[in-house]
Amino acid sequence: MKFLKLFVVAKKAGTVTRKYPFEEPLITEEFRGEIKIDPEKCIGCGACTLICPPNALTMRDEGNVRLIRYFVGRCIFCGMCAEVCPTNAIAITKEFELATLDTDDLLRDLLHKRVKCRICGRPFLTTKLIKYANKDIPGSDNYADVCPECRSKLSIKNILKYRGDLDV
Amino acid sequence: MSKVSIDSVVKALRKSVWVFHLNSGSCNGCDIEVLDALTPFFDVERFGIKLVASPRHADVILFTGPVTREVLPKVIKALRAMPRPRMVLAIGSCAVGGGIWYDSYSVIGGFPKLKKILMEEGIIIDRVAFVPGCPARPEAIIYGILVLLGVMKPKSKKEVVTIE
Repeated sequence: MKFLKLFVVAKKAGTVTRKYPFEEPLITEEFRGEIKIDPEKCIGCGACTLICPPNALTMRDEGNVRLIRYFVGRCIFCGMCAEVCPTNAIAITKEFELATLDTDDLLRDLLHKRVKCRICGRPFLTTKLIKYANKDIPGSDNYADVCPECRSKLSIKNILKYRGDLDV
Repeated sequence: MSKVSIDSVVKALRKSVWVFHLNSGSCNGCDIEVLDALTPFFDVERFGIKLVASPRHADVILFTGPVTREVLPKVIKALRAMPRPRMVLAIGSCAVGGGIWYDSYSVIGGFPKLKKILMEEGIIIDRVAFVPGCPARPEAIIYGILVLLGVMKPKSKKEVVTIE
């Protein structure tokens, strides 16, 4: 009759089974799920793509656009991108119900428009990144819409002009 | 011979699916979460899902890990032993996209890349569901199984946002 003690133990413990699809999941405060990039705050600097350990966040420049792609399927949910973002555009959500039948559904794309260089006409940086840089460094507007190569040429030209070595 | 759609076969399977756990070089994180889903706390046996010891008895394979080179022949052998319809639930970042080892020389890099190798071998996988997470939560695994069997509709969609 010793086994009857089990009923007492079982009654004390009660039912522990979670009725998950029919009730709220067990999620703690610290849980990190899918990240969400705020398109209004994102400046397209690519800091998150450099820090991302499995390269779930990748950056690619294609003509006039800069593509920032987040592939949830490779993300390890470490949250380092949210830490490193200069404008706090990345928020960590509690979303974990990400199961799909196709890996294409796990892609999140952000397309940034790139500014064309004033002199050579090649696209180089995103519009928002230049605005962000101009806010912190006053007086940089003259060189803001010039690509790095043209910028060095332009600054040397200006120095030579100042010293009087160049006749323009 | 008349063509039978996969959906009708899955519908017939909905009564009770048996699962086989296949580890292809995983770190054991996802495997522990799979065990957690099978224990009375999350109890997938509510849906008739039962763990079996052989792929010959299984309807669904719970696939974890980035498929290392060493384990590749064994994975092919196990998947070939499985009866049709072959359904696979790829669990964790490694199985979905290769995870942190996606470009390593010693791994194949997740289930999508393994699927191409299986096609060359003549093994047809009828349906795959991908469950991201590192490791995937037991709830996420339950959700993944329900998506695989067509009980629930997948929530996540591809998003494209253009910024001026």
